[in-house]
Amino acid sequence: MKISGGYFWKILVVDLSTGKTEAREFSEEFALKYIGGRGFGAKILFDLLKHHDFQLDPLSPENVIVISPGPLAGTYMPASGKTSFVSLSPATGIYGDSNMGGSFGVELRQAGYDALAILGRAEELSYLWVDNDKVKIVRAPELKGKTVLETEGLIRQKTQDTDLKIIAIGPAGENMVAFACITGDWGRNAGRCGIGAVMGSKNLKAIAVRGTKDLPVADIKRLLAKSNEGFAELASHPMFSFWQDQGLMSVIDYANKTGIIPAYNFKDGRFDRAEKINGYVMEDHYKIGNTACFACPMCCGNICLVKEGEYSGTAVEGPEYETAAVFGSNLGVDNFAFILKANQLCDELGIDTISTGNLIGAVIEGYQEGILDLDDTDGMVLGWGDEKAVIALINKIAARKGLGEIIGGGSRNLVRHFPKLAPFISQVKGLEQSAYDARSAMTMALGYATSDIGAHHTRAWPIAFELEAGKNWPPEKKVDLVIHHQTIRPLFDMLGVCRLAWIELGFPEEFYEHAYQAVTGNAFTLKQLLESSNRVYDLTRLIVTRLGISRKDDYPPERCFTQPVLSGPHAGKKLDRKAYDDMLDIYYQKRGWSKDGKISQEREKEFLDEQQLL
Amino acid sequence: MKLTVVPERCSGCKLCELACSIKKFGVNNPKKSSVRVMVVYPAPIIRMPIFCHQCKDAKCAENCPVDCIHHENGIVRINTEECIGCEQCIVSCPFGAIFTHEDYEAPFKCDLCGGDPECAKVCPTKALIYVPKHLIGQAQRMSNVLKYAHMKQVEFFEKGEKKVLHYTEAEKKENNKEPK
Repeated sequence: MKISGGYFWKILVVDLSTGKTEAREFSEEFALKYIGGRGFGAKILFDLLKHHDFQLDPLSPENVIVISPGPLAGTYMPASGKTSFVSLSPATGIYGDSNMGGSFGVELRQAGYDALAILGRAEELSYLWVDNDKVKIVRAPELKGKTVLETEGLIRQKTQDTDLKIIAIGPAGENMVAFACITGDWGRNAGRCGIGAVMGSKNLKAIAVRGTKDLPVADIKRLLAKSNEGFAELASHPMFSFWQDQGLMSVIDYANKTGIIPAYNFKDGRFDRAEKINGYVMEDHYKIGNTACFACPMCCGNICLVKEGEYSGTAVEGPEYETAAVFGSNLGVDNFAFILKANQLCDELGIDTISTGNLIGAVIEGYQEGILDLDDTDGMVLGWGDEKAVIALINKIAARKGLGEIIGGGSRNLVRHFPKLAPFISQVKGLEQSAYDARSAMTMALGYATSDIGAHHTRAWPIAFELEAGKNWPPEKKVDLVIHHQTIRPLFDMLGVCRLAWIELGFPEEFYEHAYQAVTGNAFTLKQLLESSNRVYDLTRLIVTRLGISRKDDYPPERCFTQPVLSGPHAGKKLDRKAYDDMLDIYYQKRGWSKDGKISQEREKEFLDEQQLL
Repeated sequence: MKLTVVPERCSGCKLCELACSIKKFGVNNPKKSSVRVMVVYPAPIIRMPIFCHQCKDAKCAENCPVDCIHHENGIVRINTEECIGCEQCIVSCPFGAIFTHEDYEAPFKCDLCGGDPECAKVCPTKALIYVPKHLIGQAQRMSNVLKYAHMKQVEFFEKGEKKVLHYTEAEKKENNKEPK
């Protein structure tokens, strides 16, 4: 064996329909090829889709949820608390993944499993209880309609174990909102791609885990030495304390200054009242503490409390940039207390803040443009900055009532009902865009458009690099940057560590080579790890093309080509369709894909001939 | 010297647990640690590392039926060879600072790593600190003062113009840099 640590060689497979639970072993070959995390998830989903001839309804019992932390998760190094959730997404109908921080994945690994795959559908609302080797599906109809925190509390009461790590869906997940999320550690969400709805479709309300096993590490002395160096390096970074103070909220000022903040449903790239919703406002008036994911010295989680006024008493783990931007500038709101309220509601009901803020923005603009009338909005007059209407809409979405029923189906459903709304929704492949306007940077547009899950920044976030240094780069260089991001960023999701140390505090990429080698004992270099990541990107591409995605879907939101930015440093800017087309050609070529975006036939055959992981 | 905690500073990252398990048992397993971070939420969120305070009047020692817990240079130690595994010490500790794991028969607890505790060294927010005895409580006092200052502001006049200075802003000016 090449690998002497990092894996338990077991994947827990739970079939909720039959009640059968089984720890299945897998061979080293897969650990070398797919590493773990999203790599395992993509492979298991691909095997399943192949079995079903690529005909699968995301909300049917046949769909799978793979919860997969990765071989480095839980080990002694900065920010090793990440877990990937992979499933066929009800929001997009294609490959979907999302990752969660906190400590759930670590606990799952300590229970002795490299991943957890959930299939089937329970007859009644249930939760899964994993206590090391003991696995139980517990019927719990009393959890129906409960919020995430209520669910957690009730399970702790019932099991009499306060140390359990619990993830749960809120009412929105039960109601199968297309962007329902899965929440753990109070405010850590696997937010995107609606995997919470898949959990809801399986009648699975929560998963509670306790694990006590040693995490296998091949060379703990090397890991200790290397990581201690890493911790010291991070702590001495000039931005370290600022990062602890504001975390991702510091991006509000940056994004506004550089003109990429979403304002008024992505119409503008600048918000004139951004100073009312930025990190300093949070620090001075709302922040009461920090919170960290497992083993992370950066502790970028903000804990906020509203101390007075209308939303007094609102306490939330958050917000982060995306949430503050989509509920603030994107809806024309300059009240930070409201952002906290919206964040708290979304967390408790279990919906993704990015999709929610994005779609509410689209609906408001649709109403303003006369596409929706009072009959469509349940009699609500929708205007920018209307906090009450937004809160009403959040509740309606989670309950799937009235207009919320339509929005809750996701952007594809919204367009089905209101075709004229299509140009106002910023989405790719059915996934609503993250809070960075792509009109000022071609790389960001290409990153969104070619991301395997849709318009999310998790795969590539090249915008800052392009705006800082790469405005005049030739298209080839821009494409290289996007592909580099799409290769290294998913690698973090395969290893089970957070990428923020790397992207925000310049933590060296080489560290992860040392860390991987120390934990697994395998001699893979960074280059080899990146090749594995690239291979997984080809696999997810094969999945999405087999499910009907082609070149026509690899375009950024329509608005990027048709409506120029209104104000700020990029005023008047929009993307040139021809230039984008050319760049997409270069992108496909560099990836070795066909002109229609298909992976090479040799690669495809390789994947199709490969054995199943489970 | 004394190991002490400022709970307000704790972020709940559990690096102390990891460092402890590696130092004491040579394994990467937070469940084999002699310090345990308790997290209670929602607001008011509390994160508090629980560890042995090396009590002078140690309840664990008092309640041990075979008298195998003793003070040694100010450190409370369990003699694992004499221990019968009744776990009376665990329940009698007022802090819950003695731990157990299915891999071991005897319970385990903090021994301050022989005077250089790993948990305090690794703590990124300085919530766990190892300080001379006369400084115990100082961190809490300072933390309290700063919290008070956070709510307070000073009004002053500059060239006839009324200005307000927050203590926190004065502090901020030093590292008022733009994020990347």
